[in-house]
Amino acid sequence: MTRPRQIVAFGGGGFSMEAGNPLLDDYVLGLATASGRDRPRVCFLPTASGDADHYVVRFYRHFTAARCEPSHISLFRRDRGVADIREHLLSQDLVYVGGGSVVSLLGVWRAHGVDAALRDAWEAGVVMAGLSAGSLCWFAEAMSGYHGECTPVHGMEFLPWSNAVHYDKEPHRRPAFHAALLAGMPGGFAAEDGAALHFVGEELARVVTSRATARAFRVDAVGGEVVELPLPATYLGVAAEPALAA
Amino acid sequence: MPIVEFVGQEPTNSTLDLMWRSPREYGTASCTSASHRGRAVSPDRDECPAPSASQPGARRAGRVPTIFAMGGGGFTMEPENPALDEYVRGLAPAREPRICLLPTAGGDSEDQIRRFYTAFADQLCKPTHVSLFRLGAQLVPLREHLLSQDVVYVGGGSMINLLALWRAHGVDAILREAWQAGIVLAGLSAGSMCWFEHGITTSTGAPRAAAGLGFLPGSNSVHHDGEPARRPVFLDAVARGDIPPGWGVDDGVGLLFRGTRVAEAVTSRPGARAYRVHVVEGEVVEEAIEPRVLTLSVRVDPKTPLAVAELRALRAARQGRLD
Repeated sequence: MTRPRQIVAFGGGGFSMEAGNPLLDDYVLGLATASGRDRPRVCFLPTASGDADHYVVRFYRHFTAARCEPSHISLFRRDRGVADIREHLLSQDLVYVGGGSVVSLLGVWRAHGVDAALRDAWEAGVVMAGLSAGSLCWFAEAMSGYHGECTPVHGMEFLPWSNAVHYDKEPHRRPAFHAALLAGMPGGFAAEDGAALHFVGEELARVVTSRATARAFRVDAVGGEVVELPLPATYLGVAAEPALAA
Repeated sequence: MPIVEFVGQEPTNSTLDLMWRSPREYGTASCTSASHRGRAVSPDRDECPAPSASQPGARRAGRVPTIFAMGGGGFTMEPENPALDEYVRGLAPAREPRICLLPTAGGDSEDQIRRFYTAFADQLCKPTHVSLFRLGAQLVPLREHLLSQDVVYVGGGSMINLLALWRAHGVDAILREAWQAGIVLAGLSAGSMCWFEHGITTSTGAPRAAAGLGFLPGSNSVHHDGEPARRPVFLDAVARGDIPPGWGVDDGVGLLFRGTRVAEAVTSRPGARAYRVHVVEGEVVEEAIEPRVLTLSVRVDPKTPLAVAELRALRAARQGRLD
């Protein structure tokens, strides 16, 4: 059975940001179990944080061995850890990318060939998920705000769109995103903290949220103006939500 | 004056409480704030005018480009032995030099940053650090901050990541400018090899040759005694002509380059060596270089003006230390 290419891009949320709210993490773990494994293989990439130890520890605390087969790859300590990065990534059900600096993330990934390995894994059906820098990286263009000012950064282009994250919490991102769109950046998606964009192939399949009020938007420049279209979203906290069965 | 005051500046992006600390949390108050606050007790202020924002490197005009490349040692590897770090501090003509740590190769590790502030807290200097993973926390622009330093101190870690990150953030070009302006570039391990044409890295696992920035001609291999697996790879690569001749450097040894020539070899560990590695009549040879052993015990050396010695004593007393 061929597995579809899937990316779940969090505007913010998951164990890094929402202590006590596992909804988005549970959602991506649910996608990973579609592989048929009882304990899906989940690999954490903490690169955007500089492989911060405490971040890795938090990952293992949330993605426990009872629920999955967790691992991580530290690109700062390759003399230890997995020998063949590509092989390891291709054997996963879910790759979970942590937050931090997207410019640093892309620089280090390219130096180690992780970008190419991730593309192969994605095309083979390994689910890709991440928040913040771990969301921005999958898109053609991304609004990086981790450096004070918010500037466009060229991403890995798995998805042909642009992306902005933390759209509610960091007000400087929105005008910067709009300006970039008007300057010719391809249209795309913005997500607030607690909202996740689930792509199947290159198309948005659904928006899920861990917070009842979190929103995501389709954002395009149309005739010299930026149009923000709020997207229908499914709040994952309502257990009986029928859309979840889709 | 472009001194970075991180204290109290949380990143504006509230979202990731991932990994940011102010220097105060690293326990730096004794050095940083004492020197910033205490103009009245600083008889040793740098007499040069502060650089203007438009010409941050201007005041160093005429200084010789200087690189101090350590095979290992300093605050991360021998915290009980400050000889090399004191030597680094002394390379800057300023009496209370600005020393900026670039912990990039270690992924901006909290531990490395903390050790840096601890090590330089009881030296006369103004320590800061720049984290490329947490640039949002920085008040002063990267270029301006780096070019206002007297010393840029590069920590160890992954050489491949170090170079990838510097290039991604444009730091390589800034450091070239800093070097040419006479700002001392110092570093150990990855922070040593990065300056040469080639180094021997373990960034991807087993030791292998990797290209550096090429500020200095030749090659460099570090931990020549401490990590023996690097040595045969280094010698083979030089023998085959894959990389140019260069220097193998033991832990505790530093090579001082003025311009692109070795001016001095020093060590914090008696018995440690540096080696000139090159090919003679088809054979690779290691020519030992005997470094000058740095002495530690005398805190007040003849070069230290009395006022500085007094200030040091005062600080030591404040910290409850008997010197």
